[in-house]
Amino acid sequence: MKRSLNDKQKDLIQKFAALGSLLVLIIMFSATSDAFFTVSNGMTVALQVTSIAYLGLGATCVIITGGIDLSVGSVLALSGVAAALAVKAGVAVPLGMLLGVVVGGLCGIVNGLCVTRLKLPPFIATLGMMLVARGLALQITGARPVSDLGDSFGELGNGALFRVENIGADGFPNVLFPGIPYPVLLMIVLAVVVSIMLSRTTLGRHIYAVGSNAEAARLSGVNVARVTMFTYVLSGALAGLTGCVLMSRLVSGQPNEGVMYELDAIASAVIGGTSLIGGIGTISGTAIGAFVIGILRNGLNMNGVSSFIQQIVIGLVILLTVWIDQVRNRR
Amino acid sequence: MEYAHRAVQAVSPVELLSLQNVSKRFPNVLALDGVNFDLRRGEVHAVCGENGAGKSTLMKVISGQYQADGGTLLFKGRPYCFGSTHAAEQAGIAIIHQELNLVPHLSVAENIYLAREPRRGWFVDRVKLARQAQQCLDRLGVHINPAEKVRTLSVAQQQMVEIAKALSLDAEVLIMDEPTSSLTESETCQLFRVILELKRAGVGIVYISHRLDELEQIVDRVTVLRDGRYISTHDFAHTSIDEIVARMVGRSLQEKFPARTSVPTDICLLKVTGLVRKGGFGPVSFELRRGEILGFAGLMGAGRTETARAVFGADPMDAGTVHLDGELLDIGSPIDAIRHGIAYLSEDRKSEGLAVKMSLAANITLANMAAVSSRFGFIRFGAESAAARRFIDALDIRTPSEHQIARHLSGGNQQKVVIGKWLFRDSRVLFFDEPTRGIDVGAKYAIYQLLDELAARGIGVVMISSELPEILGMTDRVAVFHDGRIKAVLNTRETNQEEIMQYASGLDAQSAQAAPANPLKASLN
Repeated sequence: MKRSLNDKQKDLIQKFAALGSLLVLIIMFSATSDAFFTVSNGMTVALQVTSIAYLGLGATCVIITGGIDLSVGSVLALSGVAAALAVKAGVAVPLGMLLGVVVGGLCGIVNGLCVTRLKLPPFIATLGMMLVARGLALQITGARPVSDLGDSFGELGNGALFRVENIGADGFPNVLFPGIPYPVLLMIVLAVVVSIMLSRTTLGRHIYAVGSNAEAARLSGVNVARVTMFTYVLSGALAGLTGCVLMSRLVSGQPNEGVMYELDAIASAVIGGTSLIGGIGTISGTAIGAFVIGILRNGLNMNGVSSFIQQIVIGLVILLTVWIDQVRNRR
Repeated sequence: MEYAHRAVQAVSPVELLSLQNVSKRFPNVLALDGVNFDLRRGEVHAVCGENGAGKSTLMKVISGQYQADGGTLLFKGRPYCFGSTHAAEQAGIAIIHQELNLVPHLSVAENIYLAREPRRGWFVDRVKLARQAQQCLDRLGVHINPAEKVRTLSVAQQQMVEIAKALSLDAEVLIMDEPTSSLTESETCQLFRVILELKRAGVGIVYISHRLDELEQIVDRVTVLRDGRYISTHDFAHTSIDEIVARMVGRSLQEKFPARTSVPTDICLLKVTGLVRKGGFGPVSFELRRGEILGFAGLMGAGRTETARAVFGADPMDAGTVHLDGELLDIGSPIDAIRHGIAYLSEDRKSEGLAVKMSLAANITLANMAAVSSRFGFIRFGAESAAARRFIDALDIRTPSEHQIARHLSGGNQQKVVIGKWLFRDSRVLFFDEPTRGIDVGAKYAIYQLLDELAARGIGVVMISSELPEILGMTDRVAVFHDGRIKAVLNTRETNQEEIMQYASGLDAQSAQAAPANPLKASLN
């Protein structure tokens, strides 16, 4: 009993680097900007983080197997416009969104087949998909946004639970509590589900085993191809979902959305301690990583730092956290 | 008393290395605790101890990979503390690891002079490189083409390249960690010739091996470690293997092999017919009976491992049938084999056996997750820990807890974890490929007992082994492989080491009668 506690403590210390930098960021930005540490800005940050987080969940699983998925930014665009086109063609909104997720899942199946059947390196397989999916999204929309989708299309991205407001004397609504946006709720639910899947189920154990030593896993009776396939399909489907949520927030289908999002997703996983060699990584780490990136962007924005400087800062943060991680693991 | 004896030696100029009271601490564990060790010019000094006794840690301290936390280290009479293996190499202390460190896609010559290539201006002087490499190899008396790519060489040849590399650095101290663990007997003979050559040249050699029977051929002195502590140093001429073993385990070991309690039946359990892998081996046919331990003997590359892997579905087979209990099996992958109750414990635990980043417990249950999870695939962590602790006790795995990451275990303990994995999965047929390689004496005995227990339960066990005493001590029958086929299936009680070696070297029964007295020599050519 005592030993397992020690291990949990170790686990906590391992996350300390990322968690510590997250806390430092929050304190720093709270000091420099009055508007930063407020409920409504908290919700804004959470909402901004959702896309990175959805993609990061999938990226974490793929990277733990020793793979990588570069296609998610394009896949989310393809899925989002597919959903938008379907809704515009008269399909009910929930069904259209489901179609978007399915399209993402299909892209994941193709990625998975390329990796497990054609034995392509994951980097190449998903790089190909990145170009194909982006091209498809642009082709089927003629590179124009899909608009006039109706209010119900925007419900998922813009609605919130427990929103409290009253109508003020001036006739405009006063927001007492901004509510919890649906995308944030979805993020929490998905993170919990994927985290349980990874840490408490045999499937999750097999994902780690494949990344730790694929040959040993195969000789132990793990269906390596199926496990690998699952991670790519999960990553693709989550990209599809991200596309639907993003397009819903914009209430239009944007074929140019999501460029470079795959790098944010990979960065959030890596900041959270996921090893690109495979075999190591946690969802809680990735969630922290996603918030580090989100809060950096938000806080720097509030302090009027230009987006160019933001890129520089985020790049340096990635280098710093991964370096700390390396030093710690060097015994 | 021994200590006083040593103190006198320390001032002698023939001392290459002298370590006094050296300690090394890791988090949670004192890996070395007051260890003494010295090495003279032109001697082979063996370091013996069970798994986890601190042998590897001591070697890493000597070769600069670790820094000692206490004690004094003298190299040629001067205190030293190298910051890295590179610095140690520069000074003349080289180490040859159990896992060889060569770049497979470079040539032999390029590997020997890696990062020290002779140059002409900005370019590598290829002519000089080839000539110098050839000289190095000639000094060892080995016939390897310096232009050949390292990945095409056998393990034994690669080891020679490592030794050549050490010599090219003018190493005065050469540390060899389990150099014979993956060599055949004839390759071992060749290695020993080279070691004797080095001795004559005045090189001091630190030698680690679990194969105690080899020691008498080359070793001058032996130092015994136990649980990180210095136990004793002996002149090999004035001691015996039995005494060394007794010092290692802290008690005397009567028997090397347990008495077989199981009696094989006549019921055919596994029947393999006409198994062929094109360009690999075959046709191979054999029968395994219920409750039997069948040995696969033969030289490396004779098709023993390949046959086991094909039956297990790890490699595809081109022809042949496998019947289990009279039922024809269609095995396309290890998943099929495992489902039918066939298990294979691979010889290469690091690359094929162990998920090194996962915990000991996760490794033990990996092949049988269903036993420790609910119907919906949720792991029952309590059951998993209990299973892991059962095998930690049964196999005497030295670990702080079942949560320890497999990578941090010592080599022998890793092997035990892999064995535990297959014992946790109840199987009808078990292939054990070199189950005791790199494992200490006490644990070997425990594994032999386990094999016997498994057979007694009616399980069919195939033991692939390059150690003939083990084959003779443990099996009921032995199938001798040569050049991809089974040359003979012998009744273990009615055969001997010589007969097996003759079949293994490809001599048939008639010419075997007229074969030279030492079959080892014959197999060299």
